[in-house]
Amino acid sequence: MSGPKNMNARERGRLAAEQAAARKRDQRILIAVIAGFVVVVVAAGIGFQAWRTTRSPSVAPSSSSVPAAPVTISDGRPIVLGSPQAPVTITLYEDFHCPHCAEFEEQYGPVIREAQESGAARVELYSLSFIDEGSVAAANAMACAAEAGFGQNYYLGLFANHTLQWRDEQLLDLAAKVGGSSSATFTTCVTSKARADWASSIAAAAKKNGVTATPTMFINGDLIDIQNLTPEALRKMITTASQK
Amino acid sequence: MSSPAITEPRFAAVARWVSTGARLVLGGVFLVAGVLKAVDPQSSAAAVRAYQLLPNSLATVVGWGLPFAEIALGLLLLAGIATRAVAAAAAMLLVVFIAAVVSVAARGLSIDCGCFGGGGEVAPGQTTYGIELVRDAGLLLLAVWLVWQPRSWLALDRFAGARTGAPQ
Repeated sequence: MSGPKNMNARERGRLAAEQAAARKRDQRILIAVIAGFVVVVVAAGIGFQAWRTTRSPSVAPSSSSVPAAPVTISDGRPIVLGSPQAPVTITLYEDFHCPHCAEFEEQYGPVIREAQESGAARVELYSLSFIDEGSVAAANAMACAAEAGFGQNYYLGLFANHTLQWRDEQLLDLAAKVGGSSSATFTTCVTSKARADWASSIAAAAKKNGVTATPTMFINGDLIDIQNLTPEALRKMITTASQK
Repeated sequence: MSSPAITEPRFAAVARWVSTGARLVLGGVFLVAGVLKAVDPQSSAAAVRAYQLLPNSLATVVGWGLPFAEIALGLLLLAGIATRAVAAAAAMLLVVFIAAVVSVAARGLSIDCGCFGGGGEVAPGQTTYGIELVRDAGLLLLAVWLVWQPRSWLALDRFAGARTGAPQ
């Protein structure tokens, strides 16, 4: 950083000051550019996520052969998915927007499905709706779909597309994608939130049953420790329960 | 750099290596934390909502935007661009995170911080605020160190005119 040898002290001082000023200016420009970069990345990110949550359902789960018949929805009572005569009852408390529920479904869903399909178990679903408006809309639509007789596939579709916001159009679109009905009854049930009261009765029932977190699972009434579960262990538990 | 490394005071030489490690660790953690959260917009929004500090619509926007801020800061740190300014921004963010977790603990809420994805409510016995705070405090320490000693190896800063904080 030394200037030419023949400079006098004053010139050297001036040069140093100029260099310092230039450095400072460069630094300010760099910081402004970086701040701009961060703002652009964040704005683009928000836009991207808004698009991801409002687009139409894109994942169609493989349809399951779980016995499907129209289910009666009654206040405080869960939705039954699978054969009503199955010896094992798997009670699930889930919110369609709860992140851990989606993970739970991904990890243990196939084992549960297997038991439902073989007739060993049925699911009693308490679809809670405490996270956001989308949870309420999804719980309501889930009840509508169960009543219309395609509850099982709709349930899979809701979790397979859990990043969606669950606006009415998305919920109706999902019904079409999972091979469900597009009847006026179902449409009205979804758009008018016809089962919203049932959804709140389910929340009250969960509270009464002492369930405070989702996902929560019971097998034949016994609380299962999900934290220390493996799919293999779950399979064994269901087999054991069906032999009792 | 006109002066060879050998003539640097011993502390500066050591500090430069410490800063290199701090920059890579802090940048790596920010990048990973951001990516894990950005994967699931529903979770990241729900995670912010669970803190009950912001109105729902604002919490959603923060939940969507914050992971990308972390990704941007993480990339800048890993590249070593304007290290001092970026580390200062990271430090501010970490102070906000620490304050948010303290506030949640003080209000007796039971949530997962959602620091690396996930988040939301957990059973009352399953909170890990202590670990979360220690981790954030450790990262804050790295960020503050970098504000103090921004010069490091493998950083693009040395090619830019603005070598922030370079000792003369």
